[in-house]
Amino acid sequence: MAKVLLVNPVVREEDIPRHIPYGISLLASIAMKKGHLVQIYDANAWRKGFDVLEKVFRADDWDVIAIGGLTTTYRFIKKAFQLAKKNSPKSILMAGGGFITSMPQDIMGWIPEIDLGLVGEAFVTFPEVLDKIDRQDFNFSSTTGVVFRHKNGKSYLTPAKPVIKNLDDLPYPAWDLLPLDIYFKNSANLFSEESFTAKRRMDVNGSLGCGLVCKYCWHLGTTGDMIVEEDKAGENQVVFTYGRNIRYHSPSYIVNMVKHLYEVYNIDFASFIDENLMTMDAASRGIWLNEICDLWKEKGLQPTCRQKNIPHDEDCRGVHWNGTSHAGLHKFETLKRMHEAGCTHLVYGLESFDPNILKNLGKGSTAARNKSSVGICLSSGIKPIPNIILGFPEETFDSIKNTITAMKELGITAKPHFATAYPGSEWYYSYKNSIIEQYEGDLEKYIAELGDASSISATISHHFTGVELIGLQEIIYKKDLRLLALAEKNWHRNRKQEQINYPQDSINFKSKSVRGPMEAEGRTF
Amino acid sequence: MEELLKGNYKVTKNIEIEAEEKSENNLTINFKKVALNSIGGSMVYVERNTLVWEGEEEAADKKNEIKSS
Ligand code: B12
Repeated sequence: MAKVLLVNPVVREEDIPRHIPYGISLLASIAMKKGHLVQIYDANAWRKGFDVLEKVFRADDWDVIAIGGLTTTYRFIKKAFQLAKKNSPKSILMAGGGFITSMPQDIMGWIPEIDLGLVGEAFVTFPEVLDKIDRQDFNFSSTTGVVFRHKNGKSYLTPAKPVIKNLDDLPYPAWDLLPLDIYFKNSANLFSEESFTAKRRMDVNGSLGCGLVCKYCWHLGTTGDMIVEEDKAGENQVVFTYGRNIRYHSPSYIVNMVKHLYEVYNIDFASFIDENLMTMDAASRGIWLNEICDLWKEKGLQPTCRQKNIPHDEDCRGVHWNGTSHAGLHKFETLKRMHEAGCTHLVYGLESFDPNILKNLGKGSTAARNKSSVGICLSSGIKPIPNIILGFPEETFDSIKNTITAMKELGITAKPHFATAYPGSEWYYSYKNSIIEQYEGDLEKYIAELGDASSISATISHHFTGVELIGLQEIIYKKDLRLLALAEKNWHRNRKQEQINYPQDSINFKSKSVRGPMEAEGRTF
Repeated sequence: MEELLKGNYKVTKNIEIEAEEKSENNLTINFKKVALNSIGGSMVYVERNTLVWEGEEEAADKKNEIKSS
């Protein structure tokens, strides 16, 4: 059986670790069920530095060292692969997750130590390649869903792997392979009183993907959003599309999993990491969330404060929870039931209150709906956490004025994220030339610098430079319309009015609903 | 010892971390992290511990003094 080391890279280094590596722990669980020998080193939780990582690489004779995560972990991952090669030269070095799926050929070029990359969903590909490695079969040319390095050093991308049909076929994540005490210690967050007092919070996932086609977003090639096509040079390329294979766990799978976490790990809070609970609820025609709420109560997970309708305090028992919502898709009755069942706060990606920006965004919301959503959510008892973005391609002084005016009306204080073109998103392919230009021809430098969108990397605004956006962010934070008017006056006075960023067509993105492949029913893990 | 690696079997080698070095490092790293996160106004952070000063500016200043006197 293959001896596998899975490494979770450091994410958001400036903050404490708050989120378990959900994908990696699911893969560990699947591999163990197939009989493989698996260890996880959660570098994000431990934060011990690269010296310790080298010791981890030397701790065993690993057949496979697998490292992967989101694009913003690129710098860590690159260094980790270099150290893996140095300390464990005989192991197969495998990459996976968002950072390689969004740009497999670039990554294989920039990190020559990688032997094999799993592109897109890995639930089937991971055990499949472990099985091959076990049999000493290192020819991956007929394995779908991978990018592999040929003896000649060149990398080849194979056709997309069909995603699994039924998420309930999945085992639970291998929680016991994670340093949970570190995550429990960091349970509290500042989104609601209940999450602020959480002592044993755990991430749970109810669905994969999202039906919307927001231009800044991306679905990791795991949502029917990815196909593979040949480019003009005859090389396979990933192509992201508006195609979607919507998949969600059954309410009973989700609630049973939370019940298990409550009984075995004594959790008091469940954070749903789903991209958008409301789009899944809409896909189920409004049944899914209601059933989850009913079962939550039936299984004894409803927190005491909600049962008795009393203020929450530290003696409260049961499991509170939070998730993500959508201004155009939420329904008051559902929100009310969610509140009753213990939901404390919902993240709303409102992004802007400008009609023109919202029309072009692909989110399916309007300024009026964005405005009313805050009140609707609040009156259900749930706290809305609205997210705002600044620096859209179409951003103007007027659009900012619309956003500030609405924020004043609704009592929102926010320091907006900067519009950032993460690899995989429609924005990335539309503005790739402009990004490369801003990074003086060095795309890898852009990728290595990507972090939170709370700092400027490359801009995609047609009108504003990075320097201007930093000032405008401060003005939005202060909701200062006087300063905004002054900035506009000076801007018109000082600048030749020419567009600074231009969109382009790209072979890697189709703004059409071309679905990626999905398996037929009946997979067993 | 902290269980850095968790799995379904026992790994062949133990991972030793030098306790002293680790805690010193941790304090420096943690302090830097907290300090950098609160930068603004009078809160500033100097990363260097040593900086070699060669006294050139002083010499230059002296020259200026002589000239101007
Ligand atoms: C939890 C989460 C986080 C956590 C960190 C999670 C972690 N421990 O790594 C936090 C909150 C820190 C975070 C932050 C950000 N995130 Co985030 N996050 C998510 C979220 C909601 C869930 C991830 C997850 O667990 N999914 C479920 C599992 C099953 O899927 P998975 O992780 O993708 O794993 C599968 C495959 O990808 C693959 N795989 C994954 N890892 C590995 C590793 C190996 C070795 C292998 C073989 C395979 C493999 O196998 C799995 C099974 O198929 C996703 C959205 C989503 N629902 O997926 C966004 C998402 C990953 N985040 C995203 C973004 C944009 C961000 C931010 C930049 C947001 C911001 N504006 O600041 C920041 C970056 C922070 C930083 N400075 O680095 C994007 C991805 C962008 C990209 N190109 O990589 C996503 C997809 C959201 C979106 N739709 O846009 N995020």
